[in-house]
Amino acid sequence: MLTKLQAKVFFLGGTAVFFGIFLVLSFDTHLKVPNQTNAANITPAVAAGKRIWEENNCMGCHTLFGEGAYYAPELTKTVETRGKDWLKIFIKDPAAMFPGQRKMVKYNFTDEQIDNVIAFLDWCGKVDLNGFPAKPPLRDKMIAAAPQMAVSSGPPPLKKPVPAVFTTATCIGCHQIQGQGGAAGALIGAPPLDDVFRRYDRAKLVAWIKDPPSIKKDTKMPKLYGLAVNDAQLNEIVDYLLSLNPETAATPSAAPTAAPAPAVQPK
Amino acid sequence: MKFQSQKIAYWFFASAMLLLVLQIVYGFIMGFARIGMDGLHEWIPFNTARAVHTNLLVVWLLLGFMGSAYFIIPEESDRELMWPKLAWVQLISFLVVGVVAVIGYHLNYWEGRKFLEIPRSLDYLVVVNVLAFIANIGMTIWNGKRYTTTSIVLFFGLFTAALLYLPGMIDFDNQTLDSFYRWWVVHLWVEGVWELIMGALLCYLLIKLTGVDREVVEKWLYVIVGFTFLSGILGTGHHYYYIGAPKYWLMIGGIFSALEPLAFLGMAIYALAMAKKGGRRHPNKTALNWTLGSAIVSFVGAGFLGFAHTLPQVNMYTHGTLVTAMHGHMAFWGAYAMINLAMIAYALPILTGRKLWDNAASAYGFWLSNIGMVGMTGALAVAGITQVNLERRMGLDFLAVQKEIEIHFVGMILAACLFFLGICFYLYNFWRFGLPTDEAASSDVRAAEELPTVS
Repeated sequence: MLTKLQAKVFFLGGTAVFFGIFLVLSFDTHLKVPNQTNAANITPAVAAGKRIWEENNCMGCHTLFGEGAYYAPELTKTVETRGKDWLKIFIKDPAAMFPGQRKMVKYNFTDEQIDNVIAFLDWCGKVDLNGFPAKPPLRDKMIAAAPQMAVSSGPPPLKKPVPAVFTTATCIGCHQIQGQGGAAGALIGAPPLDDVFRRYDRAKLVAWIKDPPSIKKDTKMPKLYGLAVNDAQLNEIVDYLLSLNPETAATPSAAPTAAPAPAVQPK
Repeated sequence: MKFQSQKIAYWFFASAMLLLVLQIVYGFIMGFARIGMDGLHEWIPFNTARAVHTNLLVVWLLLGFMGSAYFIIPEESDRELMWPKLAWVQLISFLVVGVVAVIGYHLNYWEGRKFLEIPRSLDYLVVVNVLAFIANIGMTIWNGKRYTTTSIVLFFGLFTAALLYLPGMIDFDNQTLDSFYRWWVVHLWVEGVWELIMGALLCYLLIKLTGVDREVVEKWLYVIVGFTFLSGILGTGHHYYYIGAPKYWLMIGGIFSALEPLAFLGMAIYALAMAKKGGRRHPNKTALNWTLGSAIVSFVGAGFLGFAHTLPQVNMYTHGTLVTAMHGHMAFWGAYAMINLAMIAYALPILTGRKLWDNAASAYGFWLSNIGMVGMTGALAVAGITQVNLERRMGLDFLAVQKEIEIHFVGMILAACLFFLGICFYLYNFWRFGLPTDEAASSDVRAAEELPTVS
């Protein structure tokens, strides 16, 4: 039977061996991490952003690389999914973007501080995390299995590339368009915009964007006109949304003698 | 109690209990925030509540460990504590640092690194404080009349715990390296050297409560802590899967994490076997309940529930979700909170000379808190698994998913009430024991201990 001395040797020997292996592996990791994390891209802005991240204990609510608390979203890929401009507006006043929802502290950062935080998160998003976060494996299956949600009359909206303004003006943070974006919209009821031309004309769309509550009193859509959207961008957004209408889109390119306008009227 | 200087343990235990209550209060603040009742957001935002909740846990567990060491070491070394006054200074300064840190968290003054939120300037004070503690304990053992395995393992655990605090103080601009060395502290503490402390306390309690021969209990202590390090050191790899460290950690972490439950299983079997083997019926049933409870619940919480999401393939989806919180609650409760409560339940009658060891309040305290903790873990498990499926596997938005799982936090809060009720019973009993007395120090403790159970 095992003696006390043997037990002691097992403990001390095992500990020494495995701690030795651990040290060797840690040394190797320390050498390899700079390459795997693109450490060359850690600019002063990224480093400053990391300090802001720590000094405000962002990990006390969010996760980064899956580490932190579980009260607020994982932020590793947030620059990729939301876009820098959306984040800039969001950080300035988090509650404005998600009224009535779970609260985030309003930090009153300077523009430079916000840029640094975003630079840090951007760097984080490009680190090779061995595949984390995984693409949701069931998402495609669910989309395939789901019945056609949008029941609307008339031909389907056109497929056209989404202009950059939809990202810079942060529209696709909430609204889905052409299969892109819409992550936050599922919660607050922001509809996809592909067939918004069926519901509103130009004047109504302009009014919506300029002052959302003027159209729908209790809407959760923030007023971004003057903040993230100037007049030119407003026109670009409205032009694009209307251009998705296959009926009007057909008109300019079609020959004058083309088929008459379809009888179906948008509802 | 054989030595006057052991009395200091009482004040460490009492402070620990105070902080435990405060920890639970901040837990409730978080629970209510999760069901939308976040009226305190302006003053205590979630990140503050969370930092206070986890840091108070660490501080009260450490106070419990220190108190236990001040209680055990004089007796094992068969001499008074080397510097009893230093122990007082150390207790008070430790509390001051803790209180300043907690107040600082409310004023956005912290380091913002999970579990190591204490700002750097206070870090140095913690180091000095712990050095004083280690010196006091170490010199007591060094100058003691006898060296026991229990005291050596306990000292080794406390010493390495202090040593491992240092890697967490290295600065990196690289988030991956920052995280890498942060786990040297956090993981190697809770799944490494703290288990030595736990093992030593368990061993001491088993020797005292079961009456099994010291040589046998201590021999198996070596085997158990040997398994702990064998699996736990390389098990650190399970924190390195997805933070930007090389891929080989997936295999190493996966294999050695899978072995970690064996160490806890060994600990549970060890405790139960010794209790069965022990012929002596010690009157302090409450302490025995907490001792065996700790060994069993730590296997379930730390061993089994940890293993449930430690495989890389599973962890890919559970990493950074409430599944971690589920495992964390029961693991810390079973392994470290319960062993402290066992130690306190054992030490109080001896410190105060009152034989209030086996009564209704102590039984309610044990059962209600444990049932409450099982309930909380269950609620977090359902919430966590739902979150994994909806958010990580189906790709729904974070906040939309949080709305779906809100109801489970109502369950969590109800279970937490039951848990807190149990803790109140425990504290009521603690209060009834009163203060440590000089008579208790002069009376022959073993005679008092071997009184047969009456009630």
